[in-house]
Amino acid sequence: MLTLHPGRQLRLLMSWMVALVRHSVGRLAATAVGVALAVGLLASLGAFLSASKATMTQRAIETVAVDWQIEAQAGTDASTFAAAVSATPNVAASEPVSYASTTGFETTKAGSTQTTGAGQVLGISDTYRSTFPAQFRDLVGAGSGVLLFQQTAANLAAQPGDTVQIGRAGLTPVTVTIEGIVDIPQADTLFQTVGAPGGAQPQAPPDNVIILPAGLWHTLFDPLIAVRPDLVRTQVHARLDHRLPHDPAAAYSDVAGKARNLEVLLVGNGLVGDNLGATLAGARSDALYAQVLFLFLGAPGAILAGLLTWSVASAGRDQRRREQALLRVRGATTGQLVRLSTTEAALVGVVGSALGLGIAAVLGRVAFGTAGFGATATATSVWSIIAVAFGVGIAVLSVAVPARRDARNLTVADARVTVRRVGNPRWMRWWLDLLLLGAAAVVFWLTSQNNYQLVLAVEGVPSISVSYWAFAGPALLWIGAGLFGYRLTHVALGRGRRVIASAMRPLSGGLSDTVAGSLQRQRRAVARGAALVALTIGFAASTAIFNATYRQQAEADAILSNGADVTLTTSPGVVVSPSSPQAAAIAALPGVHHVEPLQHRFAYVGADLQDLFGVNPSTIVDAGRLQNGYFQGGSAQQLIDRLAAQPDGILVSAETVHDFQLLPGDAITLRLQDGVTKQYVAVPFHYVGVAKEFPTAPHDSFLVANADYIAARTGSDAVGAFLIDTGGANITSIAEQVRQLLGVDATVTDLESTRVTVGSTLTAVDLDGLTRVELGFALVLGAAATGLTLWLGLNERRRTFAIATALGANQRQLGAFVWAEAGITTGAGLVTGAATAWILSNMLVKVLNGVFDPPPDSLAVPWTYLAILLVVSLSAATLAAVLAIRSSRTQHLELLRAL
Amino acid sequence: MSAPNDNADELVVCATDAARTFGVGAGAVVAVHGVCCEVRPGDLIALTGPSGSGKTTLLHLLAGLDTPTAGSISWPSIGPFDRLRPGPIAIVFQAPSLLLPLDVVENVELPLLLQGVERHVARRSALDALSRLDLDSVAGKLPEELSGGQAQRVAVARVLVGRPQLIMADEPTGQLDHESGTVVIDALIAAATQTGAALIVNTHDESVARRLDHRWSMAHGRLLVEEVSPC
Repeated sequence: MLTLHPGRQLRLLMSWMVALVRHSVGRLAATAVGVALAVGLLASLGAFLSASKATMTQRAIETVAVDWQIEAQAGTDASTFAAAVSATPNVAASEPVSYASTTGFETTKAGSTQTTGAGQVLGISDTYRSTFPAQFRDLVGAGSGVLLFQQTAANLAAQPGDTVQIGRAGLTPVTVTIEGIVDIPQADTLFQTVGAPGGAQPQAPPDNVIILPAGLWHTLFDPLIAVRPDLVRTQVHARLDHRLPHDPAAAYSDVAGKARNLEVLLVGNGLVGDNLGATLAGARSDALYAQVLFLFLGAPGAILAGLLTWSVASAGRDQRRREQALLRVRGATTGQLVRLSTTEAALVGVVGSALGLGIAAVLGRVAFGTAGFGATATATSVWSIIAVAFGVGIAVLSVAVPARRDARNLTVADARVTVRRVGNPRWMRWWLDLLLLGAAAVVFWLTSQNNYQLVLAVEGVPSISVSYWAFAGPALLWIGAGLFGYRLTHVALGRGRRVIASAMRPLSGGLSDTVAGSLQRQRRAVARGAALVALTIGFAASTAIFNATYRQQAEADAILSNGADVTLTTSPGVVVSPSSPQAAAIAALPGVHHVEPLQHRFAYVGADLQDLFGVNPSTIVDAGRLQNGYFQGGSAQQLIDRLAAQPDGILVSAETVHDFQLLPGDAITLRLQDGVTKQYVAVPFHYVGVAKEFPTAPHDSFLVANADYIAARTGSDAVGAFLIDTGGANITSIAEQVRQLLGVDATVTDLESTRVTVGSTLTAVDLDGLTRVELGFALVLGAAATGLTLWLGLNERRRTFAIATALGANQRQLGAFVWAEAGITTGAGLVTGAATAWILSNMLVKVLNGVFDPPPDSLAVPWTYLAILLVVSLSAATLAAVLAIRSSRTQHLELLRAL
Repeated sequence: MSAPNDNADELVVCATDAARTFGVGAGAVVAVHGVCCEVRPGDLIALTGPSGSGKTTLLHLLAGLDTPTAGSISWPSIGPFDRLRPGPIAIVFQAPSLLLPLDVVENVELPLLLQGVERHVARRSALDALSRLDLDSVAGKLPEELSGGQAQRVAVARVLVGRPQLIMADEPTGQLDHESGTVVIDALIAAATQTGAALIVNTHDESVARRLDHRWSMAHGRLLVEEVSPC
């Protein structure tokens, strides 16, 4: 036994490393590339996840017009209350706002008097609009003074310069002159009932609103306080210091905690309407979904890179064993062998990690403009450390652990053995693959019982939970499918030798049986390669399909919310018929392909008020881009055809069917407002089907019927909205032209803006970023799994090919061995991988259904990416085979000398 | 043999000023210097010399595995270069040179299959060759399941089955004990004698060299012809 001085030990290690780098640079480099892929993927996705969460928080903050609305309780002194709020730590700015309920507004123009129902009059300070710029949006006239809400302006047909009379309960009305017309984008929160739970909030904000300067408001409504104090209230609107934690969940806890703290400080004199907290609460579940996506889609990639490294290291195992045997016969101890292999693992781990971090930095800079994917330096550093630890761990597991095991257990004679008679691996004898697939099915079924509820975020509850159990289904399926692919290849090569020989006869000619025999005895290595290809293709393709489906549904969600490329919604009280000059003018705008009128009414179903949409059945399917998933019991076309076939037919929501126990053909009598008398009249319909979603409709309850029938029974063909098809082009500019055409008589929304506003913060984070990183890595993994592992495997058999060359095998005959192995490894891997990807994609879409709104009719298949993946994989395999054949023929002398 | 040749068409291989240089420029190494030699059918030649003297390089050149950088080599009784293998020239290497994924009989029949012989004919010939070397019992074994001596005998069987005109053996007993080595050399000589092939054995073993009719010695890449009387 050798017993070396520590200095000599170090020199021995150094000499060994130098020799390894000189003589086994290919093996070391390939292993380091595997480590680099794992580190790069993990560091990229981790930094991306951190950046995503910070973006979600930032975006949630940006979407809130007023962070807190603190309402003073009755009897509280307004100025003292405002001062107390202003003095609160973390409140960056605050403004008092006065609310008064009015009996209604009235205008008289050209002898015609217009009146409205009850409404609200706000009093704001001169600085309010600069402190909270997103609260109001100027439409017409001045931006200060007496401002009229757009909808109210439409109801009163009022313009700047007109006078409006404001009713005061128990007092004489007062008159003001309108100076400007504004929109209130977040009217829901502005007029919320502070302190009331979600279910007790008003169903809709008031239609009638006037905003007055604070001084004028006090002049007009301070007298009302004396008469009807219940009609007047005071709030303080506050903007917080936005230096919040980057994670939405942590930011939510922070803001919610501060809100509760303020309520305590106000000693019961005020309640906090926490708008920012409510928005962050939504963002935190999105953040968890992002985390879930990261785990679902990113973790397999890192595992795959680890498997690739292990496979690459395994390909060099025979060489390493022979080296160990040589060292052992020269007196090396087991400890020294272990130290040498650990040093090799450390070298591979460190070099691979450095390379991986470099790849991540380059990717981040190319795809996102910063090396850290937009994440903070701390988050980037933390993820880099995690990734490096993972990479070094992979290197140790792939290189040092097997070498240590060999050093302890392997004899010198064993080290020479590279092909031996082996039975099935233990897991095959235990049918582990089928057990895993069965377990995946069971877990999936159990998850479906919970309606695939993956993220549980209860409103108002600080804690949020994720059902990580659901991960087990896809994970078990993926691993089980990989092992099943191994089994299929192993069994096919073992028992199907004759079939394989026959199949290869065109390629191998008289050598086909010999080649089949060779493959049979190397079936473990071939099956391992095929399983790795299957896992890689399964991962890459299912990720691509999932992402494509997500993009498809995000677009469907935007279309569903907006209704069309551009949607024009008439203001209440404004009557526009389908054949009106405005409709003709819109249709004449350049770039407008089609204008679809859509009636919108309110109808009573019993005591329940629901939205009713009147449609033209011959055009609505295309114009509304109706998807089959919007309907139940048939396709979109079939359900609309039922309407067309029955003039008084009506489609109702599933909830209404359940509530009223409806059966197809049942008569339903709705109460609709008559267009002339404005009185509600009974109109009979017949239930013909279920609609789950409809463009511009609310999620819960709505009705869809024939527009002609509604017009005939109510005496009005007034249109609620026009769906404008621009063919997807020039959406923003056409929307602007429509706005200019119609002024305040209508609200115009466009698909581009809707994509941003209706999308969750998760959409805003842009799954495309995650997609680009993952799919890029998946391509590299695909190439590496097919090309690198195949080449390394073939490279290990260069000796065999050199002998065959010496025996006289020509290029075609040598190719028969190489191409057969390459073909079976790649072919079996691709077929199994494709099947795995299809099943896995369906499972992923179902398990992650929380991110889909609406749920998809079918998977979106990104054929271009899949074709690229196929071409890359096949090219890598072809290149590996060509290189193996070429090196066998050009380097056979060196190899023969080594015999 | 290196003696002048009266009938050139009968020569199995003929080298004229053949040289082989590895590398270029200052780092170039001349492994074989201007070798002239001839081998006739039935010649049994021992190629000896110290390690690094160029024996293996010369063997590779004569076998057509490598090409000379100067001079020429021809195989008059075989034909042009592309007809050398599979078939006419067979090689046995120092280490067992069997294809590891193939069993013994598959290894032996491989040269015939490479020649395009029908599989059942090749199998019959391979089994026959194995039988002649008393290796019937290992026909279904994998190379890793054989001893070193058995593996080299299988390699000889693989030579036999192709009925070559020239058999090259590069230190075929280098990794074997004396007894196994003797068996292998016996088999090689028998194979050459039975088929009328010429045999060139590269060896450091004096006892092996003495068993062959002729001895070629190499030193510093040059061929020194030395006649040795048969035992």
